[in-house]
Amino acid sequence: MEMTQTKKEQYEALLLEEETVRSPLSEFWRKFKKQKLAFVSFIIILFIFVLAFIGPYITPYDITEPDYENVLSGPSAKHWAGTDAYGRDIFSRIIAGTQISLFVGLTSVFLGAVGGTVLGLAAGYYGGWVDRIIMRICDVLLAFPGILLAIGIIAILGPGLGNVIIAVAIFSIPVFARIVRSSTLEVKSTLYVEATRSIGARPSRIIWKHIFPGTLSSIIVYFTMRIGSAILTAASLSFIGLGAQPPSPEWGAMLSGGRDYLSMAPHVTLFPGLAIFITVLVFNLLGDGLRDALDPKIKE
Amino acid sequence: MKKAYVRFGLLLVLIFSLVACSGGEEGEKEVKKVDKTNKDVTIAVSATLTGMDPHDTNDTLSNSVQKTMIEGLVGFDEEMNVIPVLAESYESNEEATEFTFKLREGIEFHDGTPFNAEAVKVNFERVANPENGLKRQSLYGLIDTIEIISDYEVKFTLSEPFGAMLNTFAHPAGGIQSPKALEEFGKDVARHPVGTGPFKFVDWRPSEYLEVEKNGNYWKEGYPKVDKVTFKPVTENGSRVAMLQTGEADFIYPVPTEQVEALQGKDGIVVDSEPSIVVQYASLNTMKEPFNNPKVREALNLAVNKEAFIKVVLNGEADVLDSIIAPNVQYYEKQTPYGFDVEKAKELLKEAGYESGFKTTVWGGNSSTAVKAMEFLQQQLAQINVELEVLPMESGTLSDRIWSVENPADAEVGIYYGGWSPSTGDADWGIRPLIGGEAAFPPNSYNVSYYSNDKVNAGIAAALETANSDDRAAAYKIVQQEAWNDAPWIFLATTRTLAGKRDYIEGAYLLPDNSLSITEIEIKE
Repeated sequence: MEMTQTKKEQYEALLLEEETVRSPLSEFWRKFKKQKLAFVSFIIILFIFVLAFIGPYITPYDITEPDYENVLSGPSAKHWAGTDAYGRDIFSRIIAGTQISLFVGLTSVFLGAVGGTVLGLAAGYYGGWVDRIIMRICDVLLAFPGILLAIGIIAILGPGLGNVIIAVAIFSIPVFARIVRSSTLEVKSTLYVEATRSIGARPSRIIWKHIFPGTLSSIIVYFTMRIGSAILTAASLSFIGLGAQPPSPEWGAMLSGGRDYLSMAPHVTLFPGLAIFITVLVFNLLGDGLRDALDPKIKE
Repeated sequence: MKKAYVRFGLLLVLIFSLVACSGGEEGEKEVKKVDKTNKDVTIAVSATLTGMDPHDTNDTLSNSVQKTMIEGLVGFDEEMNVIPVLAESYESNEEATEFTFKLREGIEFHDGTPFNAEAVKVNFERVANPENGLKRQSLYGLIDTIEIISDYEVKFTLSEPFGAMLNTFAHPAGGIQSPKALEEFGKDVARHPVGTGPFKFVDWRPSEYLEVEKNGNYWKEGYPKVDKVTFKPVTENGSRVAMLQTGEADFIYPVPTEQVEALQGKDGIVVDSEPSIVVQYASLNTMKEPFNNPKVREALNLAVNKEAFIKVVLNGEADVLDSIIAPNVQYYEKQTPYGFDVEKAKELLKEAGYESGFKTTVWGGNSSTAVKAMEFLQQQLAQINVELEVLPMESGTLSDRIWSVENPADAEVGIYYGGWSPSTGDADWGIRPLIGGEAAFPPNSYNVSYYSNDKVNAGIAAALETANSDDRAAAYKIVQQEAWNDAPWIFLATTRTLAGKRDYIEGAYLLPDNSLSITEIEIKE
């Protein structure tokens, strides 16, 4: 009787314990929900995504139609964010521009992340001369300030949004490569990888099935953080005339078009500036939150 | 997470401090009725000065500064008419090959060297000699001999007739420098300008300032009326305007068109807006389809609303262009503007076989005004289904692509947005380099529309073969009519010169070619 009692207790204790062992996803969700700021950012980002998809269909005004009778008028009930130098509705243009900025940010960082991950995995896993060559090239690329490198690439490829994506992707590669390499080194030395290797798994299988998932959390965090700076870089390039060309409602290009009127019609630059500011901020806040939620080293 | 809060906090602090700063400025403005106690003037200009040797500089700004120290035989008045300066009087023969100047007596250069016929000869022999490799040689290359008739009389003989020569003498590049200084400093004279002007050179630190002081010995009685003038290059439009607002500068130019309204009449600031001789146009490559069709060129001219162009792009600080040259240029002849008629333009395109429009590209500089202008053209031409791609380029790239053409038929340029300021004030320099037939095709000159019309070419040549004003006027009348009707450009606007000054400044003004005159500058109580 006593014995069974103990067993039952033990079993119940086990059950209880099992309840606290959650799947990685729910564990992440539990931690993430606690990051209030990141959570709000996440909601805003969802909203921005929706806007990017439906934006062009819901703009109150035609975004290219000029109205020369109504140039540079300030915010009003008719034009919420005022009109620009050609009398175009700034609010409509910002909505329509969401798509461009988001697309440029996501695509370029995605390309950079893919390239950087492949290189980082290879460098970390194989080591030796592969590692040395890849990392030295990355060091050289990292030595340039990001925007300068992007300008250099644009100078070679020529201006245009497509080339901006390539430029931003290229300067994102070394950063991803470096991060992925260091996580790879860490995961590579774990017991389970050692075990897989000792039963004779092929390197490609070890890398993709066992190491890559281990590096994913740091990639996700960095991916999110990077989107903000990619959007900012793309906007900067458009600002100096290397990115989106008129009449595209790209936010950086809108800023650039309004800078001559800064003192007399600040709304022309204020609203696109705010759009860039908020978007970059929410992506960075989300990135911060994700890091806190995903990093096993950070205790609650 | 904490980091995010910190970042956000920092941003807020930054924003508030910026707001606080701008608040501070406004506070200052209110007290800003400074009394001018000294007789020193600061002038903020838009670019760095390139040199002080008038024979070897080709930018209007440096020429303007040189003019405060170095004068020519003749010069321009406020309306760009030729007036005597160091010459008392002048005459030329009917064929425009001989020009004789009678010089003012008793004038000395700043270094004490006397001004006489010998000095004139030395200067023009210097600039006209191709071996010296001076930038302005081309203006005076036609001078064949210079003859000293007496101490104060000098005669120039040209190798061929050139009707626009008097205006060329009046160009700032015809400044007379002290022969002693030319000999002493050689090429270095660009940093040691010595002339006869109202001001003497003091010091020049490129990209910082150039300072000149009163020439107590100036030949014009009672001038100059200020002690010292400092020129400061300030490339950033906003900073230049701020300098005027705070009183750090007494005179600035140019005032950005966007700011005119905000500045005019406020806090003791006056903005002078006067018609210039600068023309703004979009040239059409007449050797290339579809611009080789006159109907297309007319349609493009009809499709652009010039008044709206001036309002939107130049903030109203311009006038509609109604000839190939501006009204202030000699021998200008008003033409009937094309007007704005989208329906007629569409019809013309239909007749020309472009009913559904066409696609083309406009090239231009990458200044914000140029980009705005091209974007405006894009919007206007969209009305007649012409899809215009805007391609702003950095100035080096732009001139490379336009002027490195070997064979005119291979020229890539379609539409080119540009401007032109004929600094001699004469019709010849406003017309010949831009539409003067094959001789002016790139890379030789600026005929980017590759326009060649026999009547125009003949008229240009005829006008150069005489110094008789009536004959020249008659020739340029035909030239202007022909060019206007052929429409090698989309005719847009003539801009205005914009100078901003504190209200106590008088006697300083911009000439229609955007050069500055401060001989008579004074500070009113």
